[in-house]
Amino acid sequence: MKRRAQPWLGTLVEITIADALGDAELVSCFGDAFASVAEVHRLMSFHDPASDVSRINQAEVGQSVEIHAHTCEVIRCALSMAAATRGIFDVSCAPKLVEWGYLPMLAGDLPEHVPGRCALVLQDGNRIRKTRAAWIDLGGIAKGYAVDLAIASLQRSGIQSACVNAGGDLRAFGDTAYAVAIRHPAYPNALALQTQLRDQALATSGTYFSRKCIDDRECSALVNGADGHAITASFSASIRAPTCMVADALTKLVMASADPRHPLLEQFGATALIM
Amino acid sequence: MQWTTLAVTTAASSLAFATQYLSVEQAQHVMFPDATAFKDASLQLSTEQMRQVEKLSGLPARSVSWRVFAAYRGDMALGFVVLDDVIGKFELISYAVALNPDASVRQVEILTYRESHGFEIRSPAWRKQFAGKTAQAGLEIGEGIANISGATLSCTHVTDGVRRIAAIAQLVLKR
Repeated sequence: MKRRAQPWLGTLVEITIADALGDAELVSCFGDAFASVAEVHRLMSFHDPASDVSRINQAEVGQSVEIHAHTCEVIRCALSMAAATRGIFDVSCAPKLVEWGYLPMLAGDLPEHVPGRCALVLQDGNRIRKTRAAWIDLGGIAKGYAVDLAIASLQRSGIQSACVNAGGDLRAFGDTAYAVAIRHPAYPNALALQTQLRDQALATSGTYFSRKCIDDRECSALVNGADGHAITASFSASIRAPTCMVADALTKLVMASADPRHPLLEQFGATALIM
Repeated sequence: MQWTTLAVTTAASSLAFATQYLSVEQAQHVMFPDATAFKDASLQLSTEQMRQVEKLSGLPARSVSWRVFAAYRGDMALGFVVLDDVIGKFELISYAVALNPDASVRQVEILTYRESHGFEIRSPAWRKQFAGKTAQAGLEIGEGIANISGATLSCTHVTDGVRRIAAIAQLVLKR
């Protein structure tokens, strides 16, 4: 097993390759896989003014913005998730995260987050426009997508088995069962559970790293888009699903509903565990 | 797609562990595969340089001494590798930044990731035991080394570190 890690997407992205390969081949396979993660970082960073996300955020209402096919794909999935979860999953919650200090303030007035009202319309030719003032943050889904792209890159490179882990959202493929330890939500420095991952994705959400008190109110970086409130639950939710983007997005549904058997999970081929 | 678990621990098992991804030498060769030599180019910043680093990066300069290697292919300068460590709430991360001759950042690789209790991470005595040593393999569970799943652990300290190193390179290393 060869493992390397690089900082992307605000966290550490770790790639493990099981195949026994020569050094030059490994450098090439790792390089291509990290490059696909780097591309997601470049396109979807909230902080980089040149990213697609920033260009969408800075656009006028009604202005048609051309975006990369990857960004289009992620937003398409986000809109589908928003509809399926009745607004719980909502990428236009960025103003809340800015208000609570999880994201930096951008130029212009802070848009109002309106629960359940979608602000984005995808148009032909990888274009998008906003129907009202809104700021988006793809942090709840982009890591999962980056993992899926890295997996696809490794498969294209001819790798037989590998695992990609972006800050706790991971996916494995091939004949190997990868050992996974899940953090204990009450003692994040400790592990609560050991399990195995084979040909599947696993994503975990929890409030333990982001929870804080502002003006006597508890908040976290997890927003329930259906009501605009922070999710302050002390449990964590881990989702197994065929792809990491879906697993990543569905963790928010389970965190908000506290239901590990939510009927929507089966629709996406997913299962959940709450700890 | 079952949750067949190997073990559910009721008493939380500590995640104190270390994962070594790359040694310094391995990182050098990963980041500059064409290099034939790496020469010590370690530097000490003057007070004025530290002030300029702070101004350029928007971050405290933090250290006077920096471990730097210059990468060469024959006589041709390929760039630099700068080493650094950052401390989080309970993690200690050693990493390397590869820079092009024009001081632009070329690549960042994590060398070692260590997790322990906060009080250990903050203790210089605890950290000193790792200086110059190779980390043991990562958390072993069953047959293999475990991947960790959890809420996202932010690595802004690494991103800040890279920005600081880019500023140092711009001011002191750039050809």
